[in-house]
Amino acid sequence: MNSLWEKFLEKGSVEDCPVYDMHAHMGTYNRIYFPYGNFDPEITKKRLDRAGIKLLVFCHHWALFSPDIGNSINIEVVRKLPERLRAYCGLNPNYPEIIEKDVGEFEKYRDVFVGFKMLAEYHQIPVSHENYAPAWKYANLKKLPVLLHTWGGSQCNGPEQIRDVAEKYPEARILMGHSCHGEWGKAVRLMKDFPNVYAELCAVVDSRGGLEQFLDEVGSKRIIFGTDWPWFNHHYYIGAVLDSGLSDEDAHNIFHRNAENLLKGLIAN
Amino acid sequence: MKLDFFDVNTFIGRPMNGIFKPAKTGTDLVSEIRSQNISKAITWHILQYECSPEKGNRTLVEEISGHPELYGCWTILPPQTGEIITKDFFRKMKENKIVALNVFPEWHRFILNRISFGEFLDELIERKIPLLLTMDRACLSWELLYGLMKEFPELTCILCDIGIWGVDRFTWPLLEKFPNFYLETSLLSLEEGGLEATVKRFGAERIVFGTGFPVRYPKAAILQLAYADISDEDKEKIASENLEKILQEEKL
Repeated sequence: MNSLWEKFLEKGSVEDCPVYDMHAHMGTYNRIYFPYGNFDPEITKKRLDRAGIKLLVFCHHWALFSPDIGNSINIEVVRKLPERLRAYCGLNPNYPEIIEKDVGEFEKYRDVFVGFKMLAEYHQIPVSHENYAPAWKYANLKKLPVLLHTWGGSQCNGPEQIRDVAEKYPEARILMGHSCHGEWGKAVRLMKDFPNVYAELCAVVDSRGGLEQFLDEVGSKRIIFGTDWPWFNHHYYIGAVLDSGLSDEDAHNIFHRNAENLLKGLIAN
Repeated sequence: MKLDFFDVNTFIGRPMNGIFKPAKTGTDLVSEIRSQNISKAITWHILQYECSPEKGNRTLVEEISGHPELYGCWTILPPQTGEIITKDFFRKMKENKIVALNVFPEWHRFILNRISFGEFLDELIERKIPLLLTMDRACLSWELLYGLMKEFPELTCILCDIGIWGVDRFTWPLLEKFPNFYLETSLLSLEEGGLEATVKRFGAERIVFGTGFPVRYPKAAILQLAYADISDEDKEKIASENLEKILQEEKL
């Protein structure tokens, strides 16, 4: 057993093991009631403190689901709690003119954005589609994280589409949100074939086995912690990771070191 | 604080399509719960669902026998066929340390309502025997659950595996209307703030601890409850006291 479990169980957070949640959201949502859906900086900070979440990188639901709101809500929220929040610039390929504008203005909001977020399954256009190209080219040029919603069997963000973009944009840091859920073997294959592809744990640790396969076959340096917060609870996810039989070193990599490496140069400290 | 855990949601046996490191036997499950500092567990055998409820119920008795930490949960079928529910059913439950029942209506192909189960479920209510329902395994719809609770409003029902996506819009009306309706924590704890919000709205008395092992990670539900933003007293209720109370009131 790793020693970090005893430490988290004793105090709820561990000072020398901060946690970076690299897959989060913000705001209310039509299909689910979220007790912490409404953003309040003080309450959000309190919730993050409870589990030792040092940084939450999110894309607001409204940015993803309403082109009329778009990324302005991400900017507004990050600037209310800048010491704990960063955002992904949300992209909707049904509105390529907005993508061009947002990519063009990315530098202007470097205090807010650390990369891009694609929710291709919901927007019904594959991640490899040309409408995403300005963002992919920019991410490739700047070596930015791109968080994809990915799912096994998907025609928009399944393993085949990820392979396409991983080949084409080798410098972009591709975070497979949900790690091609259910097709763990294909996620492993992608990580083995492409050094710029990472597994992300949101929905992976809802059941046992996927994380263990990634640890066995790829190793902890390619695994990123994420929870879809406020969908899912940080302590639940931390407990799940620590129940996978991993070592302290592996846990440190997953909870913070890998994220720190990805974010190097993108945020101060 | 150190909590005493009583897990309402585990199963033993190997599913036909495989699962990551299952508890093949009762002994394996005891080993797992001990390693997690869980004192006791209610369990059932995967045979009850996938193979034969009758064979599964018998196998379960063999697996929990000799393990004081384990209590059994039998699967029921409509009384009319006589496959499971016989005249001495409740006596056999008591003799074999079976403290709860579960049911998989759509998979086992019957309708869970008053037409099929009227007198039997009335007797469960009388005896205060908990019925464990799952939203997993595609065997129960929300509509069917609502219909069941409407027909049997006093039924002691513990809803397990409530869903990956937050389901408060489904469960809160049931908690509001039916005093013996409970939620199990293995997925309620997954929802950010879900457990706290439910406690605040309905009280900790309506929630019982479960891990969902071997599908889910026990430490996930354990750590979430340990650091939930609720009182220590409420945590103790959820961890074990509520389930103990339900079983103490049972008349077998």
